[in-house]
This record gives sequence, C-alpha cells and structure tokens, in this order.
Amino acid sequence: MNNHLFELAGNRKTETVIPKSKKKWYEGKPVVSAAILILIVLGCLCAELIMTKDPTYMDLLNYNKAPDREFLFGTDTMGRDIFSMIWYGGRISILIGGLATVISTFIAVVVGAFSGVAPAWLDELIMRFTEIFLSIPTLLLIILLQAIMGNANILSLSFVIGVTSWTSIAKVVRTEVRQIRNSEYIIAARCMGAGFFRILWKHLVPNFFSSIMFMVVMNVRTAMISEATLSFMGIGLPIEVITWGSMLSLSDKALMTGSWWIILIPGLFLIATVLCLTNIGNACREQTNRKESNF
Amino acid sequence: MSKEVLLDVRHLTQQFHLTKKIKVKAVDDVSFQIHKGEIFGLVGESGSGKSTVARCLMNIYQPAQGEIWYKDVNICDKKEFKKHKKMLQTRRQMIFQDSASSLNQKMKVSDIITEPMRIQHITPPRGSFVKEAAFQMEYVGLENSFLDRYPSELSGGQRQRVAIARSLCMEPEFLVADEPIASLDVSIQAQIVNLFRHLQEEHGFTFLFIAHDLAMVEYLCDRVGVMYHGKLVELAPSEELYSNPVHPYTKTLLSAIPVPDPIRERKRVLQYYDGEGMENSVWTEVSPGHFAMLPAEGKGCSIS
Repeated sequence: MNNHLFELAGNRKTETVIPKSKKKWYEGKPVVSAAILILIVLGCLCAELIMTKDPTYMDLLNYNKAPDREFLFGTDTMGRDIFSMIWYGGRISILIGGLATVISTFIAVVVGAFSGVAPAWLDELIMRFTEIFLSIPTLLLIILLQAIMGNANILSLSFVIGVTSWTSIAKVVRTEVRQIRNSEYIIAARCMGAGFFRILWKHLVPNFFSSIMFMVVMNVRTAMISEATLSFMGIGLPIEVITWGSMLSLSDKALMTGSWWIILIPGLFLIATVLCLTNIGNACREQTNRKESNF
Repeated sequence: MSKEVLLDVRHLTQQFHLTKKIKVKAVDDVSFQIHKGEIFGLVGESGSGKSTVARCLMNIYQPAQGEIWYKDVNICDKKEFKKHKKMLQTRRQMIFQDSASSLNQKMKVSDIITEPMRIQHITPPRGSFVKEAAFQMEYVGLENSFLDRYPSELSGGQRQRVAIARSLCMEPEFLVADEPIASLDVSIQAQIVNLFRHLQEEHGFTFLFIAHDLAMVEYLCDRVGVMYHGKLVELAPSEELYSNPVHPYTKTLLSAIPVPDPIRERKRVLQYYDGEGMENSVWTEVSPGHFAMLPAEGKGCSIS
C-alpha cells in the first residue's frame, strides 16, 4: 500500500517551557481581605482559647461597662462580656451564613441546571416561577416561612434563608447551562449513557462554577445580614443564643444609655466580615472575566 | 470480507423546524447498509446531512421517519432502545469533529479516557482506571506524561487522539467518526487516518467515517456513500466510485480534488452541479454493489 506516503510526520518529543510569570502571586488578589477574614473565622473557631470570660455568664455587678482592661470590649446591659460574646457568637453567624449559602446554592444549581436542559415550555414555566419568587421581597418571605416553621433554631433559620435566596443564582446557572448543554462533550457523555446528575456534577458544575462563584460568596454575606436583621427584629434566634445579630438587637436599649460599645463592636465585626466577603467576591468575578478571554 | 449486515438504515428522514411552519429536511429518505468489519465512508459538502445521519445512528436525534436496525434492534423505537440501552451505549461509540469542544476542559485526560467505564460501572480490566487510561493512551500513541494534563494544554492532534482513546476504551463494535480529521492540519490528519487504519486492522470494528476530504476517504474506506442535499446520491466500493463515478454530483466532487502537479492542476476543469433532475431520480444499481440516484428514464431496477 501507499502507507509510507503518510509517514513523513511522526510524533516528536517537544520540550515544554513554562513561562515565568512576572507578577507576584499576591498581585490582583484580595490579600488584606482574606487575611482579615481568616483571622475572624479562626478567632471564632478557637473561641474557647481566646475568650476571657464565659460569654453566657451575666455578671450583674459589672453591667453596661465601658471597655476597660478587664472587659476588653465592655459589657452589655445584662453584664455579659462583649469580647467573649463576639468570638462565641461569630461562630453561629458564620455557620448560618455558610449553611444558608450551601442550601441556596444547591437549590439554585439543581433548579437552574434542570431548567437549562428542560424543553422550552418547562424552562419557561420554571423561569416565570423563579421570577415571581424573585419579585417578592426576601425579608417578607423569610418572616412568613419562619412564622410557619415556628420556633427558630440555627438549622431552621439557615434553611429559611437558604430557601429564599436561590433565585438569582438559578437564573445565572440556567443561562450558563443553556450555553454549554449543546457542547459536544455533553452529547458524548449522553451517548455513553450518563444520567442527568452525573452530567450535572461532572460536566456542567465545573464549567459554570466560576461564573456563580461571585454570587455564592455574596450569598454568604446576604445570609449573615439576614440573620442579623431577623435577630435584630426579634424574630430570629432567641436572645439567649449569642450571635452578632442578637447582640445588635440589644442596641435599642444601648442607645438610651449612650453605651456605644454595645452597638459599635458587633456592628464593626459584622461589617468587616461582610466587606471582606464582598471584596473577595469581586476579585472572583474579575478573575473569571479575565480567564474567559484568556482561552 | 464478511457480508454480515451490522447496521441497516431504511428510508431515514430527519427534519428540523426553523419556525413552527418552516421545516428543513436535513436527511431525506436515505437507505444504506454497513457490513460488519468494513470502513464505510460518507462524503458530501457542508450541510448535506452527513452529521445528521451520524447523530441519528447514535440516537442523539430521533428521526422523523424511517428505521435504523443495529443487528436486530430497531434503535429508532424508544421501547426497544430502552431495552437494549446498555448494549447500545457500550457497543457504539462516537468521535466528534472538534476535539476542543468534545473534551471537557475541566477534566484531566485520564478522567476523560476512562469516563465511559465510570458511567457504565465497568471495572477496568487492567486494574485501576489510571492504568487503563495509560494503556489506552499508549495504544493511540500518546505518552503517559499527558495523563494529568488538561485538554487545553494539548495540541489538536493530541486532543483528537485522546478522544479516540476514550471511544476505544469500551472496545466498541461500531465506531462513528464525525469528520474526525476536518479540524486538524494535513500532517496530523495523516497520522490520525493511519491510526484509524491500524486500529481497525487490529480490532476489526465496523467504522462509519464521515469526511469531506475525498483523498482520505479513498485511502481509508472500503465503501463510500455520497450525500447531496440530504439525499444519498451514490454508493459504491471506493475503487469503483473513484474510477467510475456515475452521478453528476460525484463527478463534480471528484473534479474538485486538487492534483499535486502544476501542469495537470491548471488543466483541471471544475464541474458544477446544481441539482437538476434530482426530483424524478430513482435509486439504480449501475453495476453489482454500485448504486446511484439516476434520472428515471434509465432502465435500472429501482429498489424501494
């Protein structure tokens, strides 16, 4: 045969040269935000090591004290040490933020991906439903659901916040899935007999996750603020469960007595965490935008 | 070569809806058979429905009319397809045109190659998934160092080899390659075609090879079908087709092959075919095994 005609070009070994990046690793990355966030999270996780007092103990001799050497951040109107409460309560705030985000992201990915691969009429139906859901004020929905659920605890609160905040992520997921569902690797996987969930986790999620990363990080922020708002309004966790929100809910009394530390310190911690999260989220978004054009 | 029929396509018709009223017939009454162990080529210009035929064969599209028999299973019938789903999904494999989009950018090469096994829950015959992937890579001529790379780090030819390795790891009986070499440059095309040839000789699988490069088809295929505007216009063993084309469209296609000789190349006359006489043509057997769509006044025996 004329086999030899085609054997001019063979597989040649080539050296791979890794170009040295001129940029330092931290350039364009939110280092300060990440550091502060890590500090706060670590502090909350190791609360027992840092706490100087028992955060639940009500020291009636020292109530409403301004920050001094013994009570670093002062005490609240019930005589609890705010320094200890911040670290101890931060756990629950961050836990609710994380848990609610996991729940809402999960719902958003499943609903969005399903809507993305569904036939046109079903897609239309799911999207209209999502829009209706989106148009109702979230806080109203949370209050309604919380009222139905009855007594608030950490799980029910994260569930309620998670269930009400998936809509915007779902819309992004759906658009992304529409774009990549006709890629040949999805068709190939279907030919091999892969089911919906396998395609979702193996093929769809890795490909669209970078574009919802920003929204997921922002969701942690929103969930933490929701928790604080609810606790502040008195419909969240009961007052004996310490969170940054429930600490803030004491602030109305604090305003009367002019004790700034009761409002300011939990507020500062909450805002610092939220700001760091926002900053990191923004960096994620920039990263994905850059990566898309770099292919 | 054995004459056992592996795949029998009967009067396959596929339409696409542009709007609710306007339909496009992508494939119009196409019938052919693929014998076991042969390389069947399908050629035609862009948009002639080659890929649609391939996708119907792989059950990606549900054909509007017609039947496709794989051995003794009618794969267009949903019930029968479900019954034999597992067999069909393992025995038939497909290779796509654009290797960049047929491989998931976020998966490692070793995961891509063993994906069919993971999906079908088959324990790899060579111990572990990684060993299996390494074996298949070596088989298609790739080094083991590529195992942990991502598709975007590979060249086009290497990616296509990965795609081939993925389809081969199930040891399929029937392989559909939808323009596997069209997106590659010429030297890599030759490597891949030689690889196909080698693999086919070793495995003996049946192969549907779709291309628009006629030289490659002549080199690789045993029988060739020519498609034009959704219709199969000529079907013949490749030597017969290239030496004695009957249908005017086939002649046009063959006249378009560039000749690597400047004197003859300048003398080459391009023919044009505008589809005249397509409406009242019938499927005629010109000589044994050589069929063509010819105007009805010919004396041929029409096969319906």
